[in-house]
Order: sequence, then C-alpha cells, then structure tokens
Amino acid sequence: MSLSGKAGSEVKRVDFEGRVNAVEKALIGQHPAITKLRALIEKVAPSDVTVLISGESGVGKEVVARAIHSMSQRHARPFVPVNCAAIPRDLLESEMFGHERGAFTGASGTRQGLFTAASGGTILLDEIGAMPMELQAKLLRVLEDGEVRPVGSDRWTMVDVRVIAASNTELSVSVRKGAFSEDLFYRLQVVPIVVPPLRERRSDIPVLVDHFLECIQERTPGRKVTVTREAMVQLWSYEWPGNVRELENMVERLAILCDDSTIDPRVLPPALTSKPRPAVIEIPASLPAGGVNLQSLVRELEGRLINDALKQTAGNKQAAAKLLGLKRTTFAAKLRRSGVIAPGAADDDKDD
Amino acid sequence: MEQTHRSARIMVVDDDRDTAAILVRYLQSEGFDPIEANSGNECLRLVRKQEVDVILLDLMMPDMDGFQICKVLRENPATAEIPVILISARDDIEARAESMSLGVGDFLAKPISRRQLVASIRAQIEVVATERNTTATLSRIEGRRGNSKD
Repeated sequence: MSLSGKAGSEVKRVDFEGRVNAVEKALIGQHPAITKLRALIEKVAPSDVTVLISGESGVGKEVVARAIHSMSQRHARPFVPVNCAAIPRDLLESEMFGHERGAFTGASGTRQGLFTAASGGTILLDEIGAMPMELQAKLLRVLEDGEVRPVGSDRWTMVDVRVIAASNTELSVSVRKGAFSEDLFYRLQVVPIVVPPLRERRSDIPVLVDHFLECIQERTPGRKVTVTREAMVQLWSYEWPGNVRELENMVERLAILCDDSTIDPRVLPPALTSKPRPAVIEIPASLPAGGVNLQSLVRELEGRLINDALKQTAGNKQAAAKLLGLKRTTFAAKLRRSGVIAPGAADDDKDD
Repeated sequence: MEQTHRSARIMVVDDDRDTAAILVRYLQSEGFDPIEANSGNECLRLVRKQEVDVILLDLMMPDMDGFQICKVLRENPATAEIPVILISARDDIEARAESMSLGVGDFLAKPISRRQLVASIRAQIEVVATERNTTATLSRIEGRRGNSKD
C-alpha cells in the first residue's frame, strides 16, 4: 500500500494533482458554499474515512462520491454505486453481500455481492435511508469489523472497501422517528457533506449553463451553442426543483431544439418563462380520491387571483378589486390575509 | 432546520417607510429578527455596526439604488458575502440581468407573497449555514490530522 522512495512520492504527487483537476471539473460553481465543499472533498478524499453525503435529489451527490473516489488511493479500483431504494428489500442483502447456493428460493448458484465487487475500491450506498433496519445492523458490522457474510453462509470474510453513504432525506429525522439506526447514523456521520440545492446558489446558474454548453461543444466539435442574455436571465430566475441534474437536462434539450445555435426565450418551456414561481399547492380540477384540504386550497386560489389582479393593474387596488368583483374594503381585507405584499403598500395602513 | 432561521437578523432596506414597516411586521411574525434602514447610506452604516444575516434591498431608492448598494457591499470584504435579495416593483429583463451579473441571492418582483419571501430568505440562510458547517468540518479534520501527526 505505502509508497516508498523518491520515485514513488513523485508519482503520487503528479497523480494527485491530476485528480484535483478532476474534482474541479466535476463540481462546478463559484458560490462560497461550493468552493468550501471542493476544499472539503480534496481534504477528505485521500483518507479512508466514511462519508455521508446529503442533499436534495439532483444536486450531484453521486458526482461528489465519484470525485472522492477518483482523488483517493483507490481510484484505480472499482467505484460501485448502489441505489438502496431501487433494489427490492428482500434482495438488497444478497445484492450487497452475495449469497450461497440454495440460500433462498431461486438462489441456484453462489453469487458474489457488490461489496466484494468493490474490493479495494469504493461503494456508494445511495438513498441509505431506504435500507431495512435489520440490514442496517449488518452494515454497521461491516463498517466496524470490515467483514461481510453472504446470505446462507456462516463464514465472515474480510473486505477492503471504502463506504460512502448518500441520502436525500434528513437521516437525523429518521433516527428520531426510529426508522434509522442511531449507531449506524453516527458511524456514517464521521464526515458529513451537505450539497446545497441549486436555488440556494443561484449565482452559479450562468456558470453551470456555460459549462454544460462547453461539454456539448466538446462532444460535437464545430457546433457552438450560445445563450442570449434574456434566456440566461430566465434560466437564472427559475426555481430548479430538480437541481443541477434538471438544469443539465434542460440545457441539453435546448441545445437540440434551438435554431442557429442560439438559445433564446422562444425555445424555453412555459414553466421557465411564466413569471410567477411554480406554486407549492396544486389546485386539482376535480376531487382526488385522497380528499383535499378545502380551506388551504381556497386560500391558495384567492392568493393567486389577488396576485394576478394586482399585476394586471400595476398595483392599483381599486382596479384590482373591480377585476375580482369585490368592494375595495373586502379586497383590502383579503389582501392582508393573503400575505401578498403589494407595491406602494402605503395605503394598506389606512385600512388598518 | 428550524434553528437556522430562528433569530436570523434580516435588514429591510426601503425608502418607503410604510412598506418597510409591513415587511418588518411580516418578518417578526415569522420569527426573524428584522432591522430597518430607510436609505442606502443608512444600510451601509448599520451593516458596519451589527451582524446581518440577509439584506432585503429595494431596487429603487433616491440616494443610491439597490444595485449601487450591492456593489458597495461587495467591495468591502466584511460585507461581501452577506446574501442580498433584491426587491423590485419593476420586473424587466434589464433589472433581472443586472441582478444576475451582480450575483445576488434572489430577485423578487412586487407583489411578493409572504410564502415566497420567507422561502427566499430561508434559502439564503440555509446556504450560509451549509457553508459554515462545511468549513467547521474542514477545520475539524485538519485539527485531527495535525494532532495525530505529533
């Protein structure tokens, strides 16, 4: 394992720089939260410490895990991502640790698990919150003793795997609810890495868009796609609930759709060009089977229409009230309740 | 998550005292600790005196506009990283484009809903908290390394 002699350390240094470059390419952005995150990844990668990456779906948790792997001594060995939520609960254990022939119905042969496949490398356990409790206990043993036991076997075998866990839910909440093992949580939490959602670092959107366009250009030389300022502003204004992944997919799609290799607002989908932010509460056209909360729906609808009326009348409350068929005083009362802050709100106080 | 915005100090900068008062009341009822400034100069003076977590900046004001204030805040290392949310009665591409190039945290066009305002403020508080936690983890690791070497 250890590199000795001058030649060895020379190789190590050059190699390391190459891999630092890799993380800079993988994790794009100039927001302070991202530059600090890159620094943390560079620091944590070379050691074998367990890492827990959390963040909303699409923020790039797997990108972070791959960057850690590629900057570690293990970079030449496998990186094995496992989505714990995508594998049926009863199969997850044998997927992870393997099984002996006849361990369960259908186990016709011996199969090696993903931990063995990742030997010498890194395993990413994504959506770890979905892992069944009894399996969590077994994982804890792997982390503490470095041993796995295939299903149906009575022998424990040593494995040399670095474990990185990722979650898009707050695991501490699951611990409090009793749905996630506290011991495992603290064992994984040795180094917590939080990747912020894109809407919290809006200033990185233009940087990311340019980066994705450069990637497209690298793949298809001779084709240079640009974004008009107006379209960039629209991309910057959107909430991106699907985070960087959604932005990347969008840029790819727009690059295909646009004429003359220029992305302008005309090719943007309606969700990006409509001014009001996407509503959190959806108003159904008919009563869904699960029922609704009528009061909150009525409040939501009222708020939206008040908002629209004020926009259409440039903030003139008299005219907005008329548009909604309301008396000015009724409108003012509804406006106060709705929590909409109107421009030139001075006359609100007259109503108080 | 609740702790992070419990007593965050939000500076409301608006020359219209009524609008500022409404925002201050809203923010108080949401559990924030709002302070008010009624001009660009007042904003810059107050921000030197006390710690502020987020600045809500009205775009159009007589002494300095929101963009100018933003530039001054960015030039001073002590205030450069305070998240700024621009609030504007005019919602045109130019105002948004300028906000984008200044790297503001968010741009809200009036009328703003209370929910939108609170979500935007929380997003800025969250990301600063994330950054601080990352820095804390980083120095914890460096400290541990340093100790184990000797």
